[in-house]
Amino acid sequence: MLAELINPYHLQVASFILINIILGVSIYITLSTGQLSLANAGFMGIGAYTSALLTLNFDLPIIVGILAGTLMAGLFGIIIGIPTLRLQGVYLAIVTLGFGEVIRVIFVNWESLTKGAVGLSGIPHMGREILNTLKGFGFDPKVLGLQNNQFVFLTIFLLLLVITTSIVMFFRRQNRSRVGRAFAAIKLDEKAAESMGINITYYKVLAFAQGALVAGFAGTLFAHVLAYISPADFAYHRAVEILIFAVFGGSEVIWGPVFGALFLTVMPEVLRFISEYRYMIYGLIIIIMMAVRPQGLIDVNILNWIKLKTSKRGQKHGTSSQKSM
Amino acid sequence: MVLQVKKACKNFGGLSALSDVSFSINKGEIFGLIGPNGAGKTTMFNLITSMFTPTSGEIIFNAENINGLKPHLITKKGICRTFQNIRLFPQMTAEENVMVGEHCRSKAGVFSSVFRTKAQRQEEERIRRKANELLEFVGLGEYADVVSDSLAYGQQRRLEIARALASSPQLLLLDEPAAGMNETETSELFHLIKKIQEKGITVLLIEHDMPLVMNLCDRIAVLNFGKKIAEGTPADIQNNPDVIEAYLGSEEEDMYA
Ligand SMILES: Nc1ncnc2c1ncn2[C@@H]1O[C@H](COP(=O)(O)OP(=O)(O)OP(=O)(O)O)[C@@H](O)[C@H]1O
Ligand SMILES: [Mg+2]
Repeated sequence: MLAELINPYHLQVASFILINIILGVSIYITLSTGQLSLANAGFMGIGAYTSALLTLNFDLPIIVGILAGTLMAGLFGIIIGIPTLRLQGVYLAIVTLGFGEVIRVIFVNWESLTKGAVGLSGIPHMGREILNTLKGFGFDPKVLGLQNNQFVFLTIFLLLLVITTSIVMFFRRQNRSRVGRAFAAIKLDEKAAESMGINITYYKVLAFAQGALVAGFAGTLFAHVLAYISPADFAYHRAVEILIFAVFGGSEVIWGPVFGALFLTVMPEVLRFISEYRYMIYGLIIIIMMAVRPQGLIDVNILNWIKLKTSKRGQKHGTSSQKSM
Repeated sequence: MVLQVKKACKNFGGLSALSDVSFSINKGEIFGLIGPNGAGKTTMFNLITSMFTPTSGEIIFNAENINGLKPHLITKKGICRTFQNIRLFPQMTAEENVMVGEHCRSKAGVFSSVFRTKAQRQEEERIRRKANELLEFVGLGEYADVVSDSLAYGQQRRLEIARALASSPQLLLLDEPAAGMNETETSELFHLIKKIQEKGITVLLIEHDMPLVMNLCDRIAVLNFGKKIAEGTPADIQNNPDVIEAYLGSEEEDMYA
């Protein structure tokens, strides 16, 4: 019964949706201090390559690779975040996009380490590793009525679901705290925030590093879910895709990029014929959103409206504005 | 002495916005800083709060030279300001605006915020309570949940004062708090500033509303074209020929402006 419902292909797509949601969150974090960074594809690549190389070349456990890859991306986040502090808006976007491109070129050219444009294959696969470990304890997926690969993809999906939910909860809580207020204040008026005693350097670098950590983390997951990576996975296209999650879904509240990533990953899967025109459609979305709804689909008002509709005691929630985000 | 400004100069390119301005403010007093448009009053605030670095001169707060400190550290030392052109955080509620003001008097970081430690919850509770007390104090108690953007002009000015008070300053800098207020609002503001003084907070006030300045201030300094032309009690200032000259001169200019 369960076995018939579980389609590895669908689970694979669902897993990529979750990874994209994490990427959407990564751009949102930096944006919540008003910094538009397009470096997250680069950070994702740093995370992916670091973890892949460590697990491939040194036989380290995946979890160690993931940790190292995430921290490496965070480190680069700090290194890039500090000198770009003075840059605003478009200038920051251009410099960070350039950084991502530099990273990609390094992956292509450092052939002795990265195998160049061909990429790395045979990266330890998260689901299979888990299955092998469990088998070592005498577990057999047949007990659940599942085939091996059904079990593998189901495990990955559930694991990613827990991880993604935790990340979203993490940043929702951070938002509703002293740190989140500092982020929001800097985004709304940097000079006023500084005058109110907020160390803007610290919080801007913090947001930048958090964005890099999260993007790097998504990269490590990507590497160990796909088992194959190449520089093209982390190119300009990826940077634009991540940006679109926030532009389309919105970047005022965390649900914006979450929804954006969800919708824009599902759409080309459901409407196969769209897939080919993906980047054309992305371009269109940017133009339309900028003209019609620059804050993205999901904003504070929409959320309040949804709450009003879904809650019987909606009346009270409706007036309490954005506090709950 | 709370604040001492010694020979402060500020040039913008060729323009000398302040030259050799000195004055000092005693603890607990309301000190007025007046002068015609463009005299350099706001520039003086920007020097004191380190938004600009002085071309030369010293600023001494509680016997400590604070030149070159980052603005957020100045706030932490106990100086906070309001802005001539209101700079609230527009999409935040009144309460949230004031809560931001308490930033430098609280310390929850990422970890305690995300894991909601006991200390963090207590601190958050304290921040919220104090924010509401301050809103009450400036007469905005009922507006805690209103987005600051949609408050009336006079209310926004009072909210800025509450936000500045949230940083528990020893010295409060008010840049034209009565601008755009009607007579009733101005008289409420008068009482508010008096109450702030009663709390033991020293006030440095920039204001164009002369009756308000004269009734409120203990002492006044007058700037004109970046130079201090007079200092003294309201009575001294009102009778000072240089001051009268400066204001009359500027009013004539205004007429042709
Ligand atoms: N950032 C700046 N760059 C260049 N010039 C400036 C800057 N800030 C102020 N000025 C100039 O310095 C002079 C003093 O300006 P300031 O704002 O201090 O005047 P003010 O006394 O506050 O006037 P008002 O009563 O109109 O607010 C003006 O000539 C102004 O144009
Ligand atoms: Mg001014």
